[in-house]
Amino acid sequence: MTKKRFPLWTIGLIGILLLILVPVLYFLPSAQSKNDPAAYIPTKPVHVDHKDIVKGDFKTGQDVTRACLECHEETATEFMKTTHWTWESKAFDVPWRDEDVTIGKINQINNFCISSQGNEKTCMNCHAGYGWDEGPESALASEENVDCLACHADVGIYSKGTFGNPAEGTNLLAAAQSVRVPTRDNCGKCHFDGGGGNGVKHGDLDESLYFPDQSLDVHMGGEVNMQCVDCHWTENHQVLGRMLADNYTIDPQEQVSCEQCHVDQKHEDERLNTHLSAVACQTCHIPTIALEDPTKTYWDWSKSGDEGREDDHFTYLKIKGEFTYDKNFAPTYLWFNGDNEYRYLLGDPLGKDGITYINKPAGNIQDKRAKIFPFKVHIANQPYDVKNNYLLAPVTSGENGYWTTFDWNNAFELSEKKMGLPYSGEYGFTETYMYWPTTHMVQSADQALQCDACHGENGRLDWAALGYVGDPIEWGGRK
Amino acid sequence: MKRYTLLSLAGLLILALAIGIGTALASPEPAPVCQASVLHPNFILLDADGVNVLESNGAVSTMQTCGQCHDTNFIQSHAFHSDLGLSDYEETKDLSSSNGLFGKWDPLTYRYLSQNGDERLDLSTAEWLILNGERVVGGGPATTSRNGALLITLNADTENPETVILNEDGTSSVWDWEKSGTMEMNCFLCHLETPNTAARAEAIHTGDFGNANTATLTDMNIVSKTTDGWAWNTEAFNEGGELKSELLAIQDPTNANCATCHGEVHPNAGDPLTINQCDLDYPQTATTGQVVSGQRINQSGVNLTNKEELDRSWDVHAERQLECTDCHYALNNPSHLSEIQSDNPDHLIYDPRSLEIGEYLERPDHNFARGESAQFTVAPEYKATMRRCENCHDANESHTDWLPYTDTHMESVACETCHIPQMYAPAIQTYDWTVVTARGGASTECRGVEGTPNQVTSLVSGYEPVLLNRTNIDGNTLLAPYNLITSFYWVYDDANGSKRPVRLTDLEAAFLDHGNYANDIVAVFDSNSDRKISSAELILDLPAKEAAVKAKLTALGLNNPRIEGMVQPYSINHNVAKGENAVNDCKACHNEGSRMTQSIKLTDHAPVTPVFDAENNVSGSGEFVTDQNGALYYQPVPAKDGLYVFGASRVGWIDWFGALIFAGSLLGVLGHGTLRYFSARKQPKTHGKTERIYMYEPYRRFWHWLQTASIVILLLTGLIIHRPDIFGAFSFPGMVIIHNVIAVILVLNAVFSLFYHLVTARIQEFIPHPYGFFDDAIIQAKYYISGIFKGEGHPFEKLPTSRMNPIQKMTYFMILNVLLPLQIITGALMWAVQIFPNIAGGLPLLAPFHSLVAWLFGTFILVHVYMTTTGATPLEAMRAMVTGYEEVEIHEKQG
Repeated sequence: MTKKRFPLWTIGLIGILLLILVPVLYFLPSAQSKNDPAAYIPTKPVHVDHKDIVKGDFKTGQDVTRACLECHEETATEFMKTTHWTWESKAFDVPWRDEDVTIGKINQINNFCISSQGNEKTCMNCHAGYGWDEGPESALASEENVDCLACHADVGIYSKGTFGNPAEGTNLLAAAQSVRVPTRDNCGKCHFDGGGGNGVKHGDLDESLYFPDQSLDVHMGGEVNMQCVDCHWTENHQVLGRMLADNYTIDPQEQVSCEQCHVDQKHEDERLNTHLSAVACQTCHIPTIALEDPTKTYWDWSKSGDEGREDDHFTYLKIKGEFTYDKNFAPTYLWFNGDNEYRYLLGDPLGKDGITYINKPAGNIQDKRAKIFPFKVHIANQPYDVKNNYLLAPVTSGENGYWTTFDWNNAFELSEKKMGLPYSGEYGFTETYMYWPTTHMVQSADQALQCDACHGENGRLDWAALGYVGDPIEWGGRK
Repeated sequence: MKRYTLLSLAGLLILALAIGIGTALASPEPAPVCQASVLHPNFILLDADGVNVLESNGAVSTMQTCGQCHDTNFIQSHAFHSDLGLSDYEETKDLSSSNGLFGKWDPLTYRYLSQNGDERLDLSTAEWLILNGERVVGGGPATTSRNGALLITLNADTENPETVILNEDGTSSVWDWEKSGTMEMNCFLCHLETPNTAARAEAIHTGDFGNANTATLTDMNIVSKTTDGWAWNTEAFNEGGELKSELLAIQDPTNANCATCHGEVHPNAGDPLTINQCDLDYPQTATTGQVVSGQRINQSGVNLTNKEELDRSWDVHAERQLECTDCHYALNNPSHLSEIQSDNPDHLIYDPRSLEIGEYLERPDHNFARGESAQFTVAPEYKATMRRCENCHDANESHTDWLPYTDTHMESVACETCHIPQMYAPAIQTYDWTVVTARGGASTECRGVEGTPNQVTSLVSGYEPVLLNRTNIDGNTLLAPYNLITSFYWVYDDANGSKRPVRLTDLEAAFLDHGNYANDIVAVFDSNSDRKISSAELILDLPAKEAAVKAKLTALGLNNPRIEGMVQPYSINHNVAKGENAVNDCKACHNEGSRMTQSIKLTDHAPVTPVFDAENNVSGSGEFVTDQNGALYYQPVPAKDGLYVFGASRVGWIDWFGALIFAGSLLGVLGHGTLRYFSARKQPKTHGKTERIYMYEPYRRFWHWLQTASIVILLLTGLIIHRPDIFGAFSFPGMVIIHNVIAVILVLNAVFSLFYHLVTARIQEFIPHPYGFFDDAIIQAKYYISGIFKGEGHPFEKLPTSRMNPIQKMTYFMILNVLLPLQIITGALMWAVQIFPNIAGGLPLLAPFHSLVAWLFGTFILVHVYMTTTGATPLEAMRAMVTGYEEVEIHEKQG
């Protein structure tokens, strides 16, 4: 019976085909399947237009949140576990303190506007929560205070005012009906304007990224038009990626990396690939920072309060002091393993050599985890307590804040009351450094650094400072 | 004594090194930019008499100064940059008197170095130096006469071209070498970061040769010119009378130093590169378009076609920080030991008896490692000494995963051919000295630029080099990229019977009258009657023009003036692109209109047909082709150099012959089939009984169909490889691989089948029996010619033991014993060409043969398939080859 179903000649035919195809396929060069990085971009949920879903008369932000929670029941609980809500890291065991510490805008200082504590009125317009007029404990306790709209509403409709509350006159119903997956506009509202204005803090994040050209950022620019959440993968409102300055160490699992999409993707050029063990992608693919809009590189608080000087956004403001902005400049290169070697904690003594590091990236030439990485450095001249030898955190906003009174002593006394940081009565100004990893405004291969940018006589890397004997093109790389 | 100097030198070095390293370690500040200066000690500047210039206020003597530690006489005598052909100088009745800048006829620079006894003085030695001195390093012909005496000692002789100079009015006067001084080898020119080349050039152009080297040091706060000599700045010297090294940092030659004489070099710094186009002050760039820069082409300041897409660098080696000296190194430099020791006996990997660094520094060989370029013919004994591509790169490593026949490619194609796919700077195309411009220049053409070179409005397109066959020192021939420059010029026979180019001054006398074109010249050349000669009119495109110039030259007393034309190949070895930007599409060469046969324009108009310059290692076997506009092209014919390239080369008559046989058979088969069809309708077949017989056992069917598939695939892939221009959709390398794999299957199948037929003795079926063979064959042939149309039965019975008729037997005998072995052998040999390039005549013989047999195979298949339809029914035989059973006619047994 089987013979009829499979006549001998069909078996012969199959045999002949196999005899020909198998060797041919074996010897033909296999087409190398390239990993398509775009395949790793998470698919977003289909947009559900909330126009017909959200109804009701919203008087406060909390009213909106209550409406959201009717359907999205768990979301507030989820969100309240995230740093976008807590403004505070997990607990770290740092070597220079006996107790575990947490780091964040909620309890530590930086070298821009220095401290959010006591300055909730203005600072909290970048907190995704309402009700800071009731005080921090109360604000952070209630689910209803979660500001869904900050991240989900159309920024053309919704904006925040004082104490984290919606701005006066905002049409909350229209805002609530506009909700969708967060876009660059939502994230940019705070992250592009951090530090009190466009491009102040980051050298690689500013308002130029709202409508970027391909030449500004290869991912976000032009038709590629990637959104923040395409790389900052989000699950249960936990956004991937950590701010270096607001952490001590960062688990690589918590951080965004180029390799999460560029899997096993290497350069065609072997010579470039030999760099990968010591040089971060960003180092070559972000040749310069603050490409279009300038970023703040220096801030001298000691010059503030000068009645006679005229205000100018880029050089001097009476309330803030003197600044330097820079644009389209080469970053500073350091070995970096993803962690901080040090993060200034409130009450820490000043640095011994006259420079106090707000944060200092960890890594050196011996550290196998470390790669050479580009940073924006922000230097400030900021107030410290001469007797107690620590940095001070002035209360600037509010009725009696420094920006109203221009009285430093008063500002520090206020902060002693609010934060419990004792003030001796004598202040001075000291230089502080803060390091910002540069990882946006990525350039395509044809704009990336070439050999001579680092190697040769006029290279931008200081080999000795990085721990090399000499230019590794001649002396060899780290072993 | 020598030993002592050496020891102290070495000691000095170690000390300097120690201090250098010590300082570097001790101070956290970045090391000084120019590290070489740390090593080189301070030194005293001496004049020609060996006296400190601070005392003598004289010109510095490099031979004396540098000679304090280095053996400058050794260096000078081992430096072809200094010699420039002087040692090869020989008086000749032909044009070239040496192989270097001093005496080699160069139709681009045109001015001719006069030889002793020449009828007319053109360039005397002094004027040669004035004109060329900017690019003459000194020593050699700049200090020494042709007979070896110092120029300065020569007696003034108005007849000797070494002691005179041609005046503007055509007379000549004596050149006073005592007064002008001579030009010592100028160490500063290459060993300072920024020598003052402008001041040096000025000294040379004014004939102040003796001060040229000192001028190189001006504007550095070291020395300045006074009315009667030199004023040395005492501040520049320390208490010991030594020049402070921070003012004069001696260093290894950089690319910029080499660029001073050779061509465009640009660091990949921020400022965009611009190019002096077709400008002989930058000879390497002017003659080939080579630009040494690591800058991305699209970041340069050149107005280039498709510039935005050109994100490759001008030269990948410059991009990767290589220096000229990395490949063109001093031949005894111990840093390049692996190259120096490449001549070791095979068993010796390393010979420790090499030069110590101190010995090298005392006597560094300044004959630099060089390649085998076509036009730099000086010091031929050093050809192929340099570090070439294959000395650093393992091409097999990077090519085998995608390039079939890697070795074959590497053996016949220079790396540059694919890795320098295109030049992005213009290059000279033509220098026509048969006419002269009002400014006393040639009529020139520049390739790779639309419009006048060096104007911002002109669009640079660059050009694709022409590929020519080069014969290396080792006898190997390689296809390599070149620019071809064509020049035309008048020559005459002088009083001594020597061929000499017409002097520029005579040419000007013929064409010009007080700086304007002479009236009689205008009368002939002015074709649009505007009384001016435009650049378009300034060509010898009419016999009348040529006759007029010739008459004027004759009137000037020149004997037998005539035009010569020469095509000179200029090697292209720089501007290398990395793999992704190289030619890596097989069909660029393996196709109709291959890169290898791509022609290159020589000139818009050729007054005479030029000859291909034979004085080099490049084959000029191609053809000159004129297009309908009169432009002259050079068309390479690689076949004449024994190159056979699949897809591009083919022997026309073989394809015609093969196609004719195939087409003839097709016609025959169609005709025969049509006749059968009509006769069958008229007269139905009346053959006898048929019977179903088990004709073919499984193995027969198997090997038959496997062979069928193999042959069909081989024919198809072979055809695609042969004519990729027709089958553009197929991958060329893929077809080559399939062809090779299937060929192996076919051979194996044939071997197994032969074995089967031998052991089963079935082979007998294939062997025609001689007895009565022709009778039987005629009977069978008669059947095909007439019987088959009359519906007759087959004359011979088809039996499982004897399945073939006599004609079949003969056919298969030929196929299996002649055609198949021939095809297998030629195919195998073509594969073996990878290892033995010239086996059995190499590809030029094997490949056409292989394609001829392929045509015959194709024809066989056609006829074979048709013949199968002559069975009991048209499809019966085919069915039998599938199922094994066939209905065949039963022949009644006689009686």
